[in-house]
Amino acid sequence: MAAWQEFDQMVTAVEKRQTPPGSHELPRRFREVCADLSLATHRMYRGSTIDRLNALVIRGYKLLYRRRRHAAEGLVRFVGDTFPAAVRADARLFWLCSVLFWLPFFGMLGMAWIDLDWVQAILGPQGMASMEQMYGKDSDSLAAMRDEFGSNFAMFGHYIRNNIGIDFKIFAGGIVAGLGTMFYLVYNGLAIGSAAGYVSYAGNPTAFWTFVVGHSSFELIGMVIAGVAGMKLGMAVLRPGRMTRAKAIGVAAKGALPLILGAAGMTAIAAVIEGFWSAQDFPHAVKYAFGGTMWALHFAYFGLLGRRSA
Amino acid sequence: MSGDVERKLDTLQAIELAEGVEVRLRIAGPILRGGALLLDVLIQWLLIGALTLLFALTVGWVAGGQMSWGVVQLLWFFFSWWYPVFFEAGKWGATPGKKVFGLRVVQVSGSPITFGQAILRNFLRVADGMPFMIGYGVAGLIPTFGIGLATMLATSRFQRLGDLAARTVVIYDRVPAEPLAPSPPALESIPPGVALRPEEIRAVGAFRDRAGLWSEGRRIEIGDHARELTGSAGSAGVTRLMGIARWLQERK
Repeated sequence: MAAWQEFDQMVTAVEKRQTPPGSHELPRRFREVCADLSLATHRMYRGSTIDRLNALVIRGYKLLYRRRRHAAEGLVRFVGDTFPAAVRADARLFWLCSVLFWLPFFGMLGMAWIDLDWVQAILGPQGMASMEQMYGKDSDSLAAMRDEFGSNFAMFGHYIRNNIGIDFKIFAGGIVAGLGTMFYLVYNGLAIGSAAGYVSYAGNPTAFWTFVVGHSSFELIGMVIAGVAGMKLGMAVLRPGRMTRAKAIGVAAKGALPLILGAAGMTAIAAVIEGFWSAQDFPHAVKYAFGGTMWALHFAYFGLLGRRSA
Repeated sequence: MSGDVERKLDTLQAIELAEGVEVRLRIAGPILRGGALLLDVLIQWLLIGALTLLFALTVGWVAGGQMSWGVVQLLWFFFSWWYPVFFEAGKWGATPGKKVFGLRVVQVSGSPITFGQAILRNFLRVADGMPFMIGYGVAGLIPTFGIGLATMLATSRFQRLGDLAARTVVIYDRVPAEPLAPSPPALESIPPGVALRPEEIRAVGAFRDRAGLWSEGRRIEIGDHARELTGSAGSAGVTRLMGIARWLQERK
């Protein structure tokens, strides 16, 4: 009894972030209480005794199994190894999600020249009005629209909230047998493709393409990778294999974690570029060169890095 | 009641730790968790509101309205997606709402959850929130948590989809001790006619420990369920049951 009381006091002290005398004995005392609980359960002592020991063991377990993290080292390993390896491990889903996004995108982009009604139907009057305002034939340049001090930062905040939120929704939608993921990917392909097509056909294409080229690689590939994470969940629901569905979802989610984190990171970088670089008044050649380099770097990154753990 | 049925019906879940000992976790149900969620949403809104006001008055005044609008957008992002993640992966293992309701998130194995698990279970809350109701104005889409509730009721440990994916459960942080009021010990000790299984011995012990809380009528009502063991109904059955409890206690 005295040992239990001492253990109780020690655990209470550590829970309050104190260092009681003899706290290095905590693991040994924890094992003793564990042994006492086994014995009490085996001998069927009365309920209150077992409940008390049960509570002590849970509290001790919670303290002893707390873990420390090494953030910086983990980040380097994640970017250099875990993330690209995870994307390549699901290459088939990556190409599937790419098709789900790029097919509607190019479809709507080309549709602007074939039949503009389709594009207009998807954008709606409001969407067309805002595209006209931003990239219309006689619109001001984007740099001129962001003349107020701090508006770059405002757009950055908006892109972070909106675009990373979309990534997370694409991921979560996967658990409904992949339907949510597929819906968001196709929907975004249609919407973005229509916007690009409308501006290219009826607006000021240079203003549009010089604006989006810088951040497009991060944002669109990030979105497709969020789709891969979602489809992993979806496939676990559809084809759990020899596991129960609940177990399969757990396994798939663990594998999807680096994907969704990486996608969020890429979209955050896209927001930085979109907020502080894309609307600046630089020569067009510089912007196209920057954007092209970023696309090339993405292919190199996902193609070459993380071979070690694969 | 066989062990299997008990596992499906009881919210007390036995979990074996690496130390080779079994602990019992009390799983929390949807009502309490719903309350904690509402409280969390309220806290988030209050914090965002207060901080928005603060930034509008400081940043907005110094650096212009656009700047403070950007900061508010970031606030929304961090509060809506990361607030539960950081609290649940932290030392509390619970959001402030859960903390108030005495709940905690743990792995299925009973140990504290990792950062990754906190991300999985909280990002998937969107899916659990389906189907959405169409609201008005600011409250555009209101989650009904139909899917989350249905999944919780379909799993034995009240896990929503996010819990299944992250392999976590929500438990009572500290189970309050059940009130005990043993009735006066039986006069004679009676050996049970048959060999009893461990959970049956535990049930007879629990009956003795709590009998003082109940009226005579309730005691008889419960005692009648053990009629096959005691061989008699009514208050005679209760007396025999108390006698068996005494015998079981003295045996050790």
